[in-house]
Amino acid sequence: MATSPPASASAVGSSVPRADGPPKVTGASRYVDDLPAMPGEIFGRTVRSPVPRGILRGVRFDPAFDWSDVTVVLAEDVPVNVVALILDDQPILGTGKVNHAYEPIVLLGCADRLKLSRALQAVTLDIDPLPPVLDMRAALEGEEILWGTDNVIKRYLITKGCADAERERSEAAIDAALARCEVVVTGTYASHHQEQLYIEPQGVIAWWDEAGAHATGSIQCPFYVQKAFLKAFGLPADRIHITQSVTGGGFGGKEEYPSIIALHAALLARKSGRPVRMIYDRTEDIEATTKRHPASCEITSGCDRDGTLRALKIRVLMDGGAYATLSQVVLSRGALHASGAYRWDDVWIEATAVATNTPPNGAFRGFGAPQTIWAIERHLDRVAGELGCDPLDLKAKNVLRPGDSTATGQVLRESVAGEECIAKAIAASGYRQKRAAGPVVRGRVARGIGLSVFMHGAGFTGSGERYYKGKIAVDLAPGGRLRIRTASTDIGQGTETVFRQIAADAAGLPLDRVEFEVPCTTTVPDSGPTVASRTVMVVGSILEAAARELASRVREEQEAARQPRAAQEGQASSAAPPALSFEEAADRLLAREGKVTSLKQYEPPSYVRWDDEAYKGDAYPCFGWACDVAEVEVDLDTFEVTVVDFWSAADVGKAIHPVMCKGQIEGGSLQAIGWALSEEIVWQGGKIRNPRMTNYIIPTSLDAPPFHVVLVEAPFPFGPGGGAKGIGEMPMDGGAPAVAAAVEHATGIAARALPLTPERLFEAARGAEAPRTAAGRGERARRYRSSSTVRRARSICRRSRGCSMRSGGRSGSRARRRGARRASAARARC
Amino acid sequence: MQSFTYIRPSTPAEAIAAMAGGGPGTRFLAGGTTLYDLMKLGVEGPLRVIDITRLDALARFDTSGPHELVFGALARMSDVAADRRLKEDYPALSEAMWKAASQQLRNMARVGGNLLQRTRCAYFRGGAPFACNKREPGSGCAARDGMDRGNALLGASDACAAVYPGDWAVALVAFDAVVDTLSPRGERSIPLAELHREPGSTPEVETTLAPDELIVRIRVPRSGAGRGSTYHKIRDRESYAFALTSAAVAVRLSAGVVAEARVALGGVATRPWRSPEAENVLLGQPLTEDVAQSAGQAAFAAASPGVHNAFKVELGAQTITDALMIARQRAEQP
Repeated sequence: MATSPPASASAVGSSVPRADGPPKVTGASRYVDDLPAMPGEIFGRTVRSPVPRGILRGVRFDPAFDWSDVTVVLAEDVPVNVVALILDDQPILGTGKVNHAYEPIVLLGCADRLKLSRALQAVTLDIDPLPPVLDMRAALEGEEILWGTDNVIKRYLITKGCADAERERSEAAIDAALARCEVVVTGTYASHHQEQLYIEPQGVIAWWDEAGAHATGSIQCPFYVQKAFLKAFGLPADRIHITQSVTGGGFGGKEEYPSIIALHAALLARKSGRPVRMIYDRTEDIEATTKRHPASCEITSGCDRDGTLRALKIRVLMDGGAYATLSQVVLSRGALHASGAYRWDDVWIEATAVATNTPPNGAFRGFGAPQTIWAIERHLDRVAGELGCDPLDLKAKNVLRPGDSTATGQVLRESVAGEECIAKAIAASGYRQKRAAGPVVRGRVARGIGLSVFMHGAGFTGSGERYYKGKIAVDLAPGGRLRIRTASTDIGQGTETVFRQIAADAAGLPLDRVEFEVPCTTTVPDSGPTVASRTVMVVGSILEAAARELASRVREEQEAARQPRAAQEGQASSAAPPALSFEEAADRLLAREGKVTSLKQYEPPSYVRWDDEAYKGDAYPCFGWACDVAEVEVDLDTFEVTVVDFWSAADVGKAIHPVMCKGQIEGGSLQAIGWALSEEIVWQGGKIRNPRMTNYIIPTSLDAPPFHVVLVEAPFPFGPGGGAKGIGEMPMDGGAPAVAAAVEHATGIAARALPLTPERLFEAARGAEAPRTAAGRGERARRYRSSSTVRRARSICRRSRGCSMRSGGRSGSRARRRGARRASAARARC
Repeated sequence: MQSFTYIRPSTPAEAIAAMAGGGPGTRFLAGGTTLYDLMKLGVEGPLRVIDITRLDALARFDTSGPHELVFGALARMSDVAADRRLKEDYPALSEAMWKAASQQLRNMARVGGNLLQRTRCAYFRGGAPFACNKREPGSGCAARDGMDRGNALLGASDACAAVYPGDWAVALVAFDAVVDTLSPRGERSIPLAELHREPGSTPEVETTLAPDELIVRIRVPRSGAGRGSTYHKIRDRESYAFALTSAAVAVRLSAGVVAEARVALGGVATRPWRSPEAENVLLGQPLTEDVAQSAGQAAFAAASPGVHNAFKVELGAQTITDALMIARQRAEQP
């Protein structure tokens, strides 16, 4: 007797094996450069500007070189020379003006890879250099105009309370509100470029045939590439086939940039009539592709003597680089997170993105929020110092609670878990006891602990989802199987696995009945881009509805088959076993209808209201919440910082796959630690001096602390699987300020700029910028405040150390190694 | 990259013969971890590559000899690093291996080729539009007014301040190692201290080896200070990074004072840098932390720091101090 498959033990909430695990571990996965060569395929390379700014007078080709089998593409070969994105200001190939070093000018293609690299040397760009503007403040001053009329790519103003007025009066109003406050603190906080450094560099294979243009590659958002092709080539959408190959990480770096490399490959393919393989090596990838926007935040805050936060004024400045790319959206998210996870009565935030002659910056995990959260968290640590209280008390007192409103006036209704995250992180880490004990100095190593509190808006900002109308399709496949068709890509973060979990549970089927189709723009609907921590929360929720609907159609078919027979046999239909199994019913339905699909389109919760003009309302449907605690050891002689323990209590709504969810938090936190301590793009004259993995220093597993992740689940009623919220980006937000707070606790050095490299800490300790005295600290901590006291203290430590000197390696290395085992490849995982 | 002729001899004599017929565009290939890298960067463009990895006789090493340790030039770094006797008797040599590169690279790289790795100076490796006298003799030095965080404080000239990046050679120079070579003119021995040249006015010439000369083995005379030694390396992250500063130190204590002292520095000089200045401070003194500190400072007395590398004066001195304290503890163990 046929039965329908048993409703599986719930897949959601359990850490099922990753769908992409075995092929990746066994080497079966094919990344773009692993794909076999197509007949006639050639390689593509890019000739780039060696200078950051100038006038392109011409391009010369060495007449002694044999160009007969080299395809050359210049700007004049491009039908519409613009990379379609938001402002359409970036040319596909530079012409006339050169606006940043590494700007692409000429494309070359050749079947012989060695000849191609020689051809690259045989091209000379005649550029009259102009003085570049490499500093964002100089760009804002506008002495040299590079972009638009004033170098300003975008400016936002967010106001609340008394600052709600037209612009001039608004600033005066916030100044007046600040003047009325009992404690006013001002400071400026800077953050720097960061390279995504995904494991797999960017790469695309493109070709043309009777069906149109094709591009396959390492792509986060296939429909962005489709949009770029629509504009550049004037093709209809059904003749553009953008397919994702297995992708080795993105972190935002493969959100918008792949449009450029895919356009380049397609241009060469169009001109040569052959498939073109274009794969960047690491150096080209670091030099040419986007990075995190550097930012500077000037903050003035006012509060009551008891620590109640009142008024906040912030000027955010971000460096967009030479073209707008996604800067206005990054800036928006940065501005919307600039007030932190706290309640303020009166707010004035002015955020500006300017253009400089540096390579364009773009999407990177966190998307502007890590920069402003770094600033507000560091600032509140200073406010706490002024008040003589622990930063924890100040932050816990003011953290947003249900019923409170954010800087945009968004009233928080449900799924508000800041307090719970703080409580759990504090309990797990022993923060209070360790803070109260003061920094522990053993020998010359000072240990300290610090925290950060933050929230991260999940999903698109404002009306984004209403505008985008993301879709997903679930097809019925033979044998009662479901096939998910979505443009939400799996780039290593686990989309395929969690989507199969969500669909299986919604349909009441076992996990292995659900398939995931390779995303291609002509076969899957546009689900919206794989960004903004929206994949699980937004696309996952329509997936859940689609899978549920499809399964119910099959069950109706089962029901329809049973009723006539039950009536015939005179049995009570409810007690009768189904006449058809789920598989049989599905196949019957499929045979009758040919194609059975459920297509769903996303509708944001009806309460979400956003005014894009006034920048008011529900900036996000909900927020994720978190509290990070870092414990560090600082070597007072070498100023090396070792993160010895790291706790993160993070509210994810509902963990669909707890292991991968924790993996996101560990990996994001490690990426934040790298940003805080060692990662640094070294610039000289607008060019990057360290475009290699040997000198752009990301943490290795040995540098990873033991991560203690506490998952908090405050369900979002509109999230899938029982309330999941986005988690991809939030873990990038809190690491840097938590580490800096811990370093301050250990040493008294109050860093306001990233990264906290040993030589910067050394300079700070020398007293170049003597840190302010924070109240409530032990006498011992105070001894480390300035150069002479550091030296005296060091020699005291040395004399009292005896022979219990560590026997080699760095302190804490044992703890690190312990942590390394747990966290190994945490970054690689996402 | 360009095409090249690949030759795989099976004896050292064949290798030398192949090289003799080769001319300037010929290179020996061992582990390939440096050569391939430099070929990709356009620094090296050999026309002929002589793969010596099948010369099995050169892969053996022996750390048990009564008078000296002998390392065939083709011994793998990972094998030498794992040698238990070396770990016990000459921890500095073992640690210099362990703290270099990554396990994957150590599995490929050989101890002879390791000595010849070239500088990590970004201007040298990056090339145009930045000038580099080492890469293009006479073109100038972009590091002089550029980013000099990675530049040498010791042994630099007007033409070049690129740091010698290795660890192994630094430890070897502390122990007065000798390099045996083979060429068409026969065998000879070169003290390791004389293998690398300071840049002077010809930074492109990095060693005293003739172009057709092959390193066949490294010999280290036994020393009473072997057990009291360490290789201490400070870097930007815990592993897989070149030294910001490093120190190979070895001490033998007798009647409470230093009877033998060996101090060499890495990450701060244009070649593996022995510091007799530091050694002289230590000799005859009790090895207290103050004395160690003085030794560290003495090593940098002649340092000429630049803009971004000035912190290495203090960091380097401290590295020596720390290394000496670790070495003392080991030397005192029965």
